[in-house]
Amino acid sequence: MLRSNPGLALCILIALAAICFALFSGDPYYVQVVIWVFANAVLAVTLRFVLLIGELNIATAAFFGIGAYATAVASTIYDLPFFISLLAAPVIAGLVSALFGWITLRTKGPYFLLISFAFTEIVRLFYTKSEFLGGNSGMIGMFPPMVLNDYYPAIAITLLAAILFGLYLTERSNLGRVFKAIQNNEDIPRSVGLNVIGLKILCFVIASTAVGLAGGVHAYTNSVIAPADFTFFVAVLALAYVKIGGEGHIIGPIIGAATLTLAGQFLHSFGPYENIFYGAIIIGVLLLMPGGIIGLGKGFIGSSTVRRDPH
Amino acid sequence: MELQVQLLMNTLQIGSVYVLFALGLTLIFGVMKIVNFAHGTFFTAAALIVSSVMIWGVGTMGLSIWFSYLLAFFLALVVVCLIGFVVYIFGFQYFLKDLNGSFILSIGLLLLLNGTFLILYGGVPRSIPDVIPGNVSFLGASLTLQRLVLMIVASVITLGLYILVHRTKLGLSLRAVAEDQEAAMLQGIPFRRVALYGFLIGATLAACAGALMATVTPVTTVIGDDFLVKAFIIIIIGGLGSVLGAILGGLLIALIESFGGYYFDPSTATLAMFVLVVVLLIVRPQGILGHAEK
Repeated sequence: MLRSNPGLALCILIALAAICFALFSGDPYYVQVVIWVFANAVLAVTLRFVLLIGELNIATAAFFGIGAYATAVASTIYDLPFFISLLAAPVIAGLVSALFGWITLRTKGPYFLLISFAFTEIVRLFYTKSEFLGGNSGMIGMFPPMVLNDYYPAIAITLLAAILFGLYLTERSNLGRVFKAIQNNEDIPRSVGLNVIGLKILCFVIASTAVGLAGGVHAYTNSVIAPADFTFFVAVLALAYVKIGGEGHIIGPIIGAATLTLAGQFLHSFGPYENIFYGAIIIGVLLLMPGGIIGLGKGFIGSSTVRRDPH
Repeated sequence: MELQVQLLMNTLQIGSVYVLFALGLTLIFGVMKIVNFAHGTFFTAAALIVSSVMIWGVGTMGLSIWFSYLLAFFLALVVVCLIGFVVYIFGFQYFLKDLNGSFILSIGLLLLLNGTFLILYGGVPRSIPDVIPGNVSFLGASLTLQRLVLMIVASVITLGLYILVHRTKLGLSLRAVAEDQEAAMLQGIPFRRVALYGFLIGATLAACAGALMATVTPVTTVIGDDFLVKAFIIIIIGGLGSVLGAILGGLLIALIESFGGYYFDPSTATLAMFVLVVVLLIVRPQGILGHAEK
C-alpha cells in the first residue's frame, strides 16, 4: 500500500517527524504551534468529510466545542481518569450528532447550512448561560496526569494524526464511495436500495465524532476553554483551509490548515487587520484559484505531462 | 392587560425590523439561490452611516435633526446600494445558484467589511439624538413616538415590497426566476439583470432596517451580526424565498423574544426559538409557507 502511494508514505513520515519533534524539542511554543496545525487540519478535514455528501456543516464548530466541554466536565467536575475523560469527547459528540443529524439531515442545501449555523450559535449561548459549565469565562484546570505531562504533546499529535489517517481510509473505502455517490445524485444510491438518510447520518456522525475527539485533545492542550472559542467562526476558518488547500483531495485541507495556521502566527500582530487579511485571502483564492493550492499543483503536473506526451 | 399590550407593542416594533431584514435575505435567496452571510454588513453599514452623518449634520453643520436624519437615511441607502452593486459585479454574479461558493464569498466579505468598519469607526457604541421626541399611550401602554413612526415606516416599506413583488412586472420576473430559472429565461426574462435587481432590493431592505434601527439603539460595528442568526431562524420557519413566510416568521420570532424575554429571560427565549425550529423541521422541513423540495 505504501509502496504504491509515495504521497501517503510522505505524510506518515511527516506525522512521525512531528511526534518526534514534540518528544525531543525543548521549545514548548513551537510544539504548541505543531499541535494547532494538526488540530486545524482535523477541523478542515472533518468539514470536508461532510462535504462528501454535499452538505456544508457549520456545526463542525459546535461538535468541536461539545467534545472540549465533555472532556472538561469529565475531568474537572467528575474527576474521571485522563483517558476516560478524553474518550468522553468523541462519545458525547457522536451521540449529540446522531440526534441532531437524525432531525436535520432530512433537509439539505441551504436549510441544512442555516440550521447548522443556528445550532452552533445556540450551543455557544447555552454554555454562556450555564453556571455548571462556567458561563462566559468557561472552564479551567484540564491537565494531563503528572506522569504523562512530558509526553502529552506527542500523545495529542498521535491522536490527531490518527484521526486524519482514519478519515483518509474511510474516504477510500466503499463507504466513502457511497458518500460521493450521494453527493452526485442521491436518487441513484436510493434506487439500488441503500438507506440514503441513514448513510448521511452515518457520515455526519463519523465526522462529528472525529472532531469531538479533536475538541477533547484541544481541552487538554489549552487547559482553558471558553464559549468564545467555539463560535461559527471556527467552521469558517476550517472552510477557508479547505478552500485554500483545495477540496479535491483530503491532502488539500491539511495543506491549507498548515499554511494558514503558520501564516496566522505572524498575523496576530496585525490586530484588527487580521480579519481583513483573512477575508481578502478567502475572496482572492475563491475568485483567482478555484482549485486551491492542490488545484495549482495539479495544473502544473498536468501541463508538464502534456508537454512530455509527444515523446 | 397593560403589560400584554406593552409587550405586544414591543413585538410589533422589533418584528417590523426583523421582517425588513429577513425579507432582503429571503428575496436574495429566492432569486439567486444563495445565502448571503454578508447581509448583516449592509445593515451595519447603513446604521453606521446614519450615526456619523447625524453627528456631522447636527453637530458640525447645525442642521435640524429631522432634516439631517432624512439626509442620512438617503445617503445610507445610496452607499449600501453602491456597496451591493460592487460586490455583485465583482463577486456574486460568478456564484449564482452556487450555495457553497457564495457562502464562502459572503463570509470573506463579512470579515473584510467588519474589519474595515472596526478600523473606520472603532469599537465604541454611538447613539444619535431622538429624531421625533415624545410619547404616545395606547390602551394604557406607553410607547415613544419614535418607535411608533419606525413601526409605521417599516410596515409601509414591507407593504411596498409586497406590492412590488406581486403587482409589478419586475416582481413578476423576480417570482418567475425564483420559481424556475430556465423557464423564465425561455420567456425572455434576462436572468442576470433580474438577479442584480433582486440583490440590490435585498441590500436596500437591509439598509432601511439598519437606518431605522439606528434611531432606537446604540450603533456598534457588529450590530448586524446579532440580526443574522435570528433572520436565519425566521427564514427557516417561514420557508426560504417566501415573502409572506418572512413576514409571519419575523413577527413570530419577535413575539417569542419579547414575551419569552419578559416572562423568562432573553436566552431562554432564544433557546425556545431553536426548539421551535427543530419541531418544525421534524413536522414540515420546507418551512410554514415554503414550497415542497424535490
